[in-house]
Amino acid sequence: MDKMMFLLSEGVKNLWRHKLTAFTAIFSTFLTLSVAGSLMIVGQNTNKVIEYLRGKYKIEVFFNENVPDKQIATVVEAFNKINGVRSTTLISRSDAGKIFKSQFGENILDIVGYNPLPVSCVVNVVTFQNDKMNVMPIVERIKSFPEVDEVLYQGRLIYRIETYYQKFVQVMTALLILVLVITVLIISNTVRLTIFAKHELIQALQLIGATRSFVKAPFVIEGVLHGLIGATLAAILLIAGVEVGSDLLYSVSKFKIQYSPFVLFGILSSLSIVISFLGSSRAISRFLK
Amino acid sequence: MIRLDNASYTYAKGSGVSNVNITFGDDEFAFIIGPTGSGKTTLLRMIYMDLMPQVGKVVVDKYDSSKIKLRKIPYLRRKIGMVFQNYHLLEDRNLFDNIALSLHVIGFSKNEIVDRVTESLEEVGLDGKEDRYPEELSGGEQQRACVARALVKEPDIILADEPTGNLDPVTSFELIKLFEEVNREGTAVIMASHDYNLIKGRGHRIVEIQDGTVRQS
Repeated sequence: MDKMMFLLSEGVKNLWRHKLTAFTAIFSTFLTLSVAGSLMIVGQNTNKVIEYLRGKYKIEVFFNENVPDKQIATVVEAFNKINGVRSTTLISRSDAGKIFKSQFGENILDIVGYNPLPVSCVVNVVTFQNDKMNVMPIVERIKSFPEVDEVLYQGRLIYRIETYYQKFVQVMTALLILVLVITVLIISNTVRLTIFAKHELIQALQLIGATRSFVKAPFVIEGVLHGLIGATLAAILLIAGVEVGSDLLYSVSKFKIQYSPFVLFGILSSLSIVISFLGSSRAISRFLK
Repeated sequence: MIRLDNASYTYAKGSGVSNVNITFGDDEFAFIIGPTGSGKTTLLRMIYMDLMPQVGKVVVDKYDSSKIKLRKIPYLRRKIGMVFQNYHLLEDRNLFDNIALSLHVIGFSKNEIVDRVTESLEEVGLDGKEDRYPEELSGGEQQRACVARALVKEPDIILADEPTGNLDPVTSFELIKLFEEVNREGTAVIMASHDYNLIKGRGHRIVEIQDGTVRQS
């Protein structure tokens, strides 16, 4: 217990002993984690936007005139079982007449003397899906029913949105990985500077019988503290930035930025612990080789 | 017991020691004497296994250089107290923390550390100076602090590599007397020096080393 307390206090004292390198490491971690946190918030909100857009994806299905209503109801039930279909809404002839009246202000019966509008169905697709959504298999499956006369959908628009979304996700993931790797290298190199400055201490520790883990621990604790302080500062900056940005954005577009300050802080601090642990362990292990 | 069996170590540039066969007893006081570059430091480094013999072996207590795993070497070093010519005190810690470090490494409790460090400082005559930093101490005091650091863990062996190299004759003589006191309490002391005048006539074993070869012991 006393040994643990000693190692912990050494790690904390090292922050003060190595002020300049500590400042460099904390500032670098703060910058990179701010970028990583921004990417995460943008990614999360882009996901919300894509879910909203997917909610607008519609496949309209028109049935042949001579198909009985009961048979259409059975076919619509079958649509619900197609993979990727979220819900269906059956629009009877009379419903279609009402829609016509609401859109054009006139009764179709008064114009042509009978209701020529076919029975149709609106098929809504699922909104939550991580990768690129392809509605073509759903469309093809619907078309395969002989009762179906025509299928209308926003094929080109959906394709574009999904393609851009997929590229966006790939770029964001690559950027995030790059930022994290850079952070590991920065922390590793900063701790290496500290280690070179402290080679006498390491040598003394080795001569008096310190194990490898005892020599490593204060440097790793110091690295993790750099990371945690950097993460806390980055979280404070991002939370303040998002709160201000969200209000501004809402006043312009009614879009509220979705995020949780606690989750953001949790992710950033966990990330900082992992990357600073990796960075500092890498540096001290290479030195002790 | 320390035993070197046909131990040799040659540096890339050429010097080192070759075919050393020597044994030191558990409570022995021995001087290793020889000119600068003769191999004294190499011999000591092999004993605390900072250098592993390329030929032969070194056995210290139950630790055998030909069989030992690297992770076990720290446990050997906990049985050895080392004193160097250049002190190797840490400038950013006071005397108390410098000496306590050895005990933190072993895992002593806070109270035991305070007791042992205080006792060890008294033993070397540095009591009352525990808050001083190395730069605030004279050369002789720094060397006595090193001895305190070596003694505080109650080692079985003290290895001293030219500990009087930076000291005046009076302080050097006092340091040797201190080692003799430690030896009387049962700790083996092996001290390397190039100054024959300092060690002659003290009644201890003298091992002479020249050009990496032990000439007489």
